[in-house]
Amino acid sequence: MHHVIIGNGVAGSHAASVLRERDPGSQITIISAGALLFYNRYDLPDLFRGRCDWVDYLVYPPAFYEENKIKLRRKSLVTEVDTNKRTLTLAHREVVTYDQLLVATGGVAYVPERLLDSIPLMHGFNNFRVAMAMREALPDGGVVIMLGGDALGLDLARTLIETNYKVVVVAGDRTFWPHELTQETRSSYLQALEKMHLDVVDGKQVDRVEQSNGTGPARRVVFDDGSDLTGDVVLPFYGLAPSVDFMSHAGIDIERGVLVNPQLQTTRDDIWAAGDVCQIWSPEHNTYRFYYGWKNVKTMGDVAARNMTGDDVTFTTAVDEILQLKPDGTIYSPFWEYD
Amino acid sequence: MTSIHTDVQIGICGSAGDGTIAVGDILKRAMARAGYRVIAFDEYPAEIRGFGKCVARTRITTEQVYSMKPKTDVLVSLNDAHAIPHAEEVRDFGAVIYDSAPITMIDEGWHISGHLNPGQLPYGLPMREISEQATGSSRSRNIVALGFVAGLYQLPRQAFIDAIAAKFQTKAAEVTQSNVAAFNAGYDNGAEIYRFDKVEVGPPARRTRVHDSTMMTGNAAVVRGCLDAGIETFFGYPITPATSIMERLAVEMPKHGARLLQTEDEISAISATVGAGFAGARAATATSGPGFALMSEMMGLGVMAEVPAVVFVSQRGGPSTGMPTKTEQADLNIAVFGGHGDAKRIVLAPTNVEGCWRCAGRAFEMAEAYQTPVVVLLDLYLSNRYETVVFPNKNPFVRDAWKRPTQDNANEPYRRFELTADGISPRAVPGDPHGIHTATGLEHNEFGRPNDLSAMHFQMTEKRHEKLNAALKHPGITIYKRFGDTGEVDVGLLAWGSTFGETLEAMLLARAEGIRCAAMKVVMLSPLPVKPIKRFLKDCKEVIVPELNYEGQFANLVSGAVGRDVIRFNRVTGKPMAVNEILDTIRSAAGKRKLRKSAA
Repeated sequence: MHHVIIGNGVAGSHAASVLRERDPGSQITIISAGALLFYNRYDLPDLFRGRCDWVDYLVYPPAFYEENKIKLRRKSLVTEVDTNKRTLTLAHREVVTYDQLLVATGGVAYVPERLLDSIPLMHGFNNFRVAMAMREALPDGGVVIMLGGDALGLDLARTLIETNYKVVVVAGDRTFWPHELTQETRSSYLQALEKMHLDVVDGKQVDRVEQSNGTGPARRVVFDDGSDLTGDVVLPFYGLAPSVDFMSHAGIDIERGVLVNPQLQTTRDDIWAAGDVCQIWSPEHNTYRFYYGWKNVKTMGDVAARNMTGDDVTFTTAVDEILQLKPDGTIYSPFWEYD
Repeated sequence: MTSIHTDVQIGICGSAGDGTIAVGDILKRAMARAGYRVIAFDEYPAEIRGFGKCVARTRITTEQVYSMKPKTDVLVSLNDAHAIPHAEEVRDFGAVIYDSAPITMIDEGWHISGHLNPGQLPYGLPMREISEQATGSSRSRNIVALGFVAGLYQLPRQAFIDAIAAKFQTKAAEVTQSNVAAFNAGYDNGAEIYRFDKVEVGPPARRTRVHDSTMMTGNAAVVRGCLDAGIETFFGYPITPATSIMERLAVEMPKHGARLLQTEDEISAISATVGAGFAGARAATATSGPGFALMSEMMGLGVMAEVPAVVFVSQRGGPSTGMPTKTEQADLNIAVFGGHGDAKRIVLAPTNVEGCWRCAGRAFEMAEAYQTPVVVLLDLYLSNRYETVVFPNKNPFVRDAWKRPTQDNANEPYRRFELTADGISPRAVPGDPHGIHTATGLEHNEFGRPNDLSAMHFQMTEKRHEKLNAALKHPGITIYKRFGDTGEVDVGLLAWGSTFGETLEAMLLARAEGIRCAAMKVVMLSPLPVKPIKRFLKDCKEVIVPELNYEGQFANLVSGAVGRDVIRFNRVTGKPMAVNEILDTIRSAAGKRKLRKSAA
C-alpha cells in the first residue's frame, strides 16, 4: 500500500506518523512544494527574538523520516491529480502513483482582488523564507502595516510590539478572522488592540500599496478616500485561501476547499483531505465548514490517517473558537495555541 | 570581518557529452585563480563514445588538505539517472542542484528530487530554459548550472568569467560570449535564491599567495619535474592513465630542445629509453600496468647493464585491460619485483601532486647517480587529480649527477663495472675518451665481458643491490615521514601513494576524537627504508596499512621486511580510499586495544 500525502504541514506530517504506526509495512510519501522539513510556522514570530536558524523550528529532526521510513519529497509541486489512474503529476514532469491519497496542502494568504496588483510590494509571513525577508526589510523600531489583521497577524503583532516595533492594523471585515464577531463585540476587541499598543485604522478601505518616494518608510498604503499611511513593510492578513488549484480536474467535489465527510473522506473512496484545505460536513451546522488552528488540524491528520487504515472515526473540533477578552483588557485567541 | 574557514566539496555529475568534466575544470580553475586551495578528481567512463557517467569533484579550501572529502557539500546533477546513486554522498544540510524542468516526462523514481535524504536541501533550476533564454540554445545548461552554484555561494564572478575565457580561448569569440552569458544567467538566478543549506564559503585565506601557486594534475607535475630535471629524450606508447604525460611532453620538449618519439609499442619504448640512457641522455618512458608488464624484460637489462632510465607507471584497475579509467594500487609487486632474476631497482611512489614533480625530478638524479632504472609509481587518482601547488623559485634538480671515470688510470683498460666500496662504478658513455667497454645483459666482470663464474655472479649481484642503499639518503627528497602524535601511539597508519592523503586526513580526524595515533608515508618502496619503518612500528600498538589492492601488497612488503603483522585494510572499488572507512578502522583498532587493556 502506497499512502501519498500532499502537504508537509501539521496535518500531513501528523497523518504520516499515525499511518506509520498503524500500517508499519506500507510505503508513505509526503510531497511538499517547499524545500524544508516540517517546521513550526506558529513559532515564526520568534525571528524577531533572534531565532533565525530554520533548523531551530523543525518539529522533527531529519532522522525522524529515516527512522519511520517516511519518504519526504521536497520542491515537488503537484500540478495535476488523475484519480482514475491514481497518479499525481509533479511540476518537474514526474508521475507518482498512489493507492491512497491524503490532500493536506493547507492554504495561502488570501488577498482581496483589488490588491492583487500590490502583491509585489507586500511581504508575507506564511513560511520561513518570506518571514525572513520581511524581517530583513524591517529596520529596528520600524513600522509594520497589517492589512486585515486576522488572528495569525495579531499573533505576530504581539511579538512585534514586545520587540519594539510599531504596528498599525488596518481593520476590516476580516479582522480577527477566523473568529466571527458581532458588530458590538468587534468594537470592544478593536479597543483591546489599542490596549495592546497596536494602532488601529478602522472604517477605511485600502485601494493600493505603493513604493514610497524619498528617504522615509519604504511603503505607502493608499485608501480609497485618498488618504494614506506610510510604513516600512506591509503585510496582508486577510485569512487563508485553501490550496486546491491542482485538484480542479480531479473529479472530486470542491467548493472553496475540498469537501469531505466527518471521516474526512472526499467524494472518492481513496482520497482524504485534512487541514486548512478541507471543508468538513458539520451535521450541527448543516453545512461544510472550515476548522482552523494547530490542534484542529493535527486532529484532522489523526482522523484521516486512522480512517485510511480501516478505522471509522469522525472529526470533532479540538479548539474553542471564541476570541477571549482577558481581564487586563487584551485579547487571547485559542488559535494561537499549539502543542 | 571574521574569516570563514572554507572547506567545500562540489560534485558535478552528468553523462558523457553533458560537459560535466568541462564545467568541473572551469570551477577548479576559477577557484584556484581566486586564491583558494583546490583538490579535484574526475571520474569518467572507459568507453570513448557513448553516454557513460562522468563525475567531477572539486574540494575548495582555505587550509592545506590532503584528500577528497568523504562527503560532498554540493552535488549538481546534469543527468539524474547517473546522479541518483551519488545523492547519498551529499552531507546533511548540503545541497543538491538539479534540472527542475526536464524536456520529457520522467518515469516514477527517476528524478533526483525523489532520492534526497531528509537532511539535504534541494534546489531545482530550469537549466535548459535559462540556457535557451541566455544563449538561444539549451547546450549551455552545464554552464548555467555552474553559474547557479557560483551565484548561490557568492563565489567571485570575474574569476569564473576569466576561467571560461581561458577555456574557450582557441574557439571563436562568440563561443566565449555565449558561455559567459549562460554563466551570468545562472549566477543571477543563484544569487537571488534564499539558501537553507549550511554550506559556507569565505574569502581565500592568503590572497598574496595566489600568483605563487599553480593548479595542476599529478601527470602535469610529472611533466614539469621532467622538464625541470632536463629530460632529453622520451619514448612512449599511449595508455590510460599515463597518456597525458606523453601528450604534454610532446608539446613542451621541443621548446627545450629535447625529443620525443611515440614508439610502436611499450617494448620498443623501454628499449629506446634504456638505449638512450646507455648513451648518456636523460631518458624516460611512461605507461600503465599492462604496458609495464611488457617492459619487464628490458627493465632487467637496465638493471644488469646498470643503465639509468626513468619509468613512470600510473596504475589502473587490473589485471589485463581491467578498469582503464578506475584507480587502483595493485602494481606495487610488479614495480618492485617485476622481471626475472634479482633485478632490484628504485621505486618511488609520490603521495600528492607536488610529490609527483619532486619524485620525477629526483628520479632522473637517482637513475644517474645509482646507475639503474627508477620506477615512479603513480595511480590514476594521483595522475588525474588536480591540486594547487607552490613550487620553489629555484630549480632544485641536479644535472649530470653521476660518478665519472677519472683520468688517473687512463692507461689501464676502463672497468665500467668496477667493484667499489659503495657499489657505484665510474660511468662512461659512448664517446667518452678511454671509456670503451662492453655492456651486456649477460652476467659480466668489471670490464663488462661475459663471466658467469659463481664468485663473479655473487659479487656483481651484491654490487647491484648494495649500491641502491645510498638512494635511501638521496638529498632533496623525503622518502618517508611521520605525522601525528610522537612517541608511543595506540594506532599507527602506514601508507603509500595517493592513499596517504586519505590516511592522513583520517589520522587527523581520529586525533581530534582523542585517539593517540600517527601516520607514516613511505615514498621509497624500493629499497624500502626498513629501519625507520621498524622504529615507527615499534611505537605503534596497532598498525593499519590501507591500500587499494586486494592482497595487501604493501602490507606484505612491510611484514616481510620487518617481521611484524599488520592490520590490512584493502579496497578494490576502483575509487579512492574513503576517509571515513579508514577512520572506522582506526576507531575499531583503538577500541580493541582498549578492550584488551581493560580485560588485562
